[in-house]
Amino acid sequence: MSVIGKNTPRIDGPAKVSGKQKYASDIIIPGMMYAVTLRSPYPHAEIVSIDTSEAEAMGAVCLTYEDINPVLYNERSVSVPAATYRDRTVLPKKARHVGEPIAAVAADTEELAYKAMKTLKVEYKVLDPVFDPVEAMKDGAPQLYDKIYLGDEEVTIKNNIGVVRKIDEGDCDAGFAKADRIFEEDFELPRIYHCQLETKGCVAAPDSEGGITVWATAQSIHGNRHIIARVLGLPLSKVNVKKVTLGGGFGSSIQVNTVTPICAALAMKARRPVKLLSAREEDFYSHHKYPAQFHVKIGVTNDGVITAAHVKALIDFGSHQIQPMAFMGCVAGWFASLYKYEGNIRFDGTAVYTNKTPCCAMQGYGNPQVNFAIESMVDVICNEMGFDPIQFRLANYRGTGEEFWGQGPTIRSIIKSCGVEESLIEGAKLMPEWATRNEPKDMNAEILTGVGLARGFHCSGTAGPKEGEVIDYSSAMVKVNEDGSIDCVSPVMDHGGGTWDALAKILTEVFKVPLSMVCLSPADTKNTGYDVCTHATRGVYCGGAAVYNAAVKCRDRLLEFAGRAMDEHPSHLEISPDEERGQGYIHVKGFPAKGRTIGEVAKLAQINSWGTAMYAESFRQKNCPPCFTTHFVKVAVNTRTGEITIPKVVIYGDCGVAMNPELLHGQLIGSFNRGLGYVLYENLPHDYDTGKLKNNGLLVDYKMPTAVEMPTAENVIARHANTYEPTGPFGAKGIGEAALASVQAAIANAIYNATGIRFTKLPITPEIMLKALQEHGLAHK
Amino acid sequence: MSKHDITLNVNGKKYELTVESNELLLNVLRERLYLTGSKYGCGIAECGACTILKDDESYFACMVPAVAADGWNITTVEGLADGDKLNPVQQAFIDNSAIQCGFCVPGMVVTSTALLRENPDPDEDFVKDYLRGNFCRCTGYVAMVKSVLDAAGKMKEAK
Repeated sequence: MSVIGKNTPRIDGPAKVSGKQKYASDIIIPGMMYAVTLRSPYPHAEIVSIDTSEAEAMGAVCLTYEDINPVLYNERSVSVPAATYRDRTVLPKKARHVGEPIAAVAADTEELAYKAMKTLKVEYKVLDPVFDPVEAMKDGAPQLYDKIYLGDEEVTIKNNIGVVRKIDEGDCDAGFAKADRIFEEDFELPRIYHCQLETKGCVAAPDSEGGITVWATAQSIHGNRHIIARVLGLPLSKVNVKKVTLGGGFGSSIQVNTVTPICAALAMKARRPVKLLSAREEDFYSHHKYPAQFHVKIGVTNDGVITAAHVKALIDFGSHQIQPMAFMGCVAGWFASLYKYEGNIRFDGTAVYTNKTPCCAMQGYGNPQVNFAIESMVDVICNEMGFDPIQFRLANYRGTGEEFWGQGPTIRSIIKSCGVEESLIEGAKLMPEWATRNEPKDMNAEILTGVGLARGFHCSGTAGPKEGEVIDYSSAMVKVNEDGSIDCVSPVMDHGGGTWDALAKILTEVFKVPLSMVCLSPADTKNTGYDVCTHATRGVYCGGAAVYNAAVKCRDRLLEFAGRAMDEHPSHLEISPDEERGQGYIHVKGFPAKGRTIGEVAKLAQINSWGTAMYAESFRQKNCPPCFTTHFVKVAVNTRTGEITIPKVVIYGDCGVAMNPELLHGQLIGSFNRGLGYVLYENLPHDYDTGKLKNNGLLVDYKMPTAVEMPTAENVIARHANTYEPTGPFGAKGIGEAALASVQAAIANAIYNATGIRFTKLPITPEIMLKALQEHGLAHK
Repeated sequence: MSKHDITLNVNGKKYELTVESNELLLNVLRERLYLTGSKYGCGIAECGACTILKDDESYFACMVPAVAADGWNITTVEGLADGDKLNPVQQAFIDNSAIQCGFCVPGMVVTSTALLRENPDPDEDFVKDYLRGNFCRCTGYVAMVKSVLDAAGKMKEAK
């Protein structure tokens, strides 16, 4: 009867296929106004004045920097305040990238709002912009900021350097001295766009008691509440953020999206509900994945031991900080946790302000970036020194018993479950082409094929035994109803991967009830305790653990009632599934004959006035276990066109116990699709004359893989390792972000295997591939 | 802007509306008829999240002025099911775990429904090519393609 580890139809499936599932933009309130934003046409300009009189005469309500609390904040609030840089206000006095919102207008219709917005007279003092991160660090370059804050401490910004982060452990110099070979290489990854299908939106409705209710695109309802309350100057109890379905996030709503406090402030000013939905073109200018430049140095002995590694990183994070400090700490942690390096690691990171869209997390928070560099380097090492890539990895990787950095240097725990060996060994069997990849082939062929391997991971949550820079806990309320059905109120958001189904399954397992007897209640910030955010692949592992712990305590209460009803000591009782009654069944351990259903016990407790079996608490995990992935990818390179296709992929995931294997495989496959875009197509170059994106924010000029670019269904092979995470709810850890980590290097390594050409810069578009083939004399005539 | 009286037949129900000449069908469906299943994803016919049916043919509702839809017989995602009984494509999306965030799903199931009306016996390449106008950033499409083939098989069996 247990549904954990089984494929069950997702609970929200019927609502999602019939258009009934509600996302933020689907909220409609009588009397609601529609809002639009005015966005800066300049990459760098002081805003001298904004004249709103004409718009107001048209009946519009306007919001400028003069109307909104100029509180300095960072929209990403998952780090502790002392480790959080604050450099922005909701609406700025100075625009620092094209597309930055500088005013907003609400009116009875969207059209009227737009027309009114067009009448705003903005006087700008245009400033010189800077786009290139190296240029930005030079003396005399235009300066984006003079002063910002780290926590409450004032920080002076010089040469646009936002953050410098250095981490040094062990003895790198000694490690390199011990190495027989030193490998060094530069890597570069582009700025790309999340392209979650739902553009950022918000509906906000003031209430008659001076408070406000908000429906927003969010990965954290509590994160939104905290910032909205600060901006509006309201007590937290006056701000209620409702949990609505998220139409894809990939990290772009860990932070409170800029449109959200704008919408809330407009609604408060108008004293009416307001809807503000970003146009796709605006969304394109709102959040990007961090680009990265790395210099990697790795030392290896002749017997295949990595003795030291040094990563230098340059991060062009754009016009304000959505925590590049935390980002660089994570980059260091992912790199440090991939291999043992005999404990000798060094990281030097510099993050620089430029007049571009601010960068934020996007599935992996630096993991796909640095994994591409390290796993490409491992391929170089194996090829040059003649090591078997699987054996080399097995000899050097960090596995069970080793330390893993879950979220930068301050959050670490010991690995307790690990599917790396199984994934590498079994994965290779599922890709027989791996064994024959180095056999001689006709390099004059029109299509060159090759196979590549890479492995990666991500954390499950950001909790270690000791609290660190990042906040991590969750909350839950669980209640057994008087018929044996279960209610649960949880603040945890679901990106769509199936987190909510996993929470429901955890409840079924504790109470031994069928899935149909469990219901996640509508939740908001008023009726739930704090949950930091669904980020860092923590939904099931941390949010699920909070549900598990509340459920167990609720069950204890229920067993106490059952003890009274059955004249037994509660410690002698247990719950078994009773399929006939479709209920959990409480009985003396080992004696199922005498018992009562949980519904009967809950009803008895109610009519006897014993009370309700319910429990609410917050809960913090104390580990951040890695979930591992391995990719074996086969590529075909067309030497006439430079086009790269993927005939086959084997993806191995290790998420501990899989709550729902098909949904797990869906995440692995979806991530492969996004990785395909990252490696082969996606890039967001800016026009350095105007500061605009070269695609002008148009989806039509941003190429992502579609159904057509994926291998045939039978050649997308997704599997999961057979592991059990002892600290997770029913053995589960995460998978979401891990699923992308190793895609990039696996494809690039396969291209090397096919052509002998090593790419250290992404994307590898057909034009770039063809040019490289021509340079290597491999292009087909 | 001028106002126009139009009639829309949506999911078997007749609506008489006065619309502005520049009002988009998508906005009329969502904000005036409260049929919010059809989604805004790009506004330029690139992502397919707003796909609806006019008779058996799929259209991007974000590109159709409402006034041009006067007299149309429209099915939105809300109208695909027969009461609580989902259509074969909708059911197949659930059965094949083809849903993640779900924001693209209304457009996907509407487009897939049109696909099967056009070609009840498609192969994998046909399905992939047909769905290339519908973006999904979550699933990687494989389970969606399987769903359409599964629905085609089930519909054939049912005949």
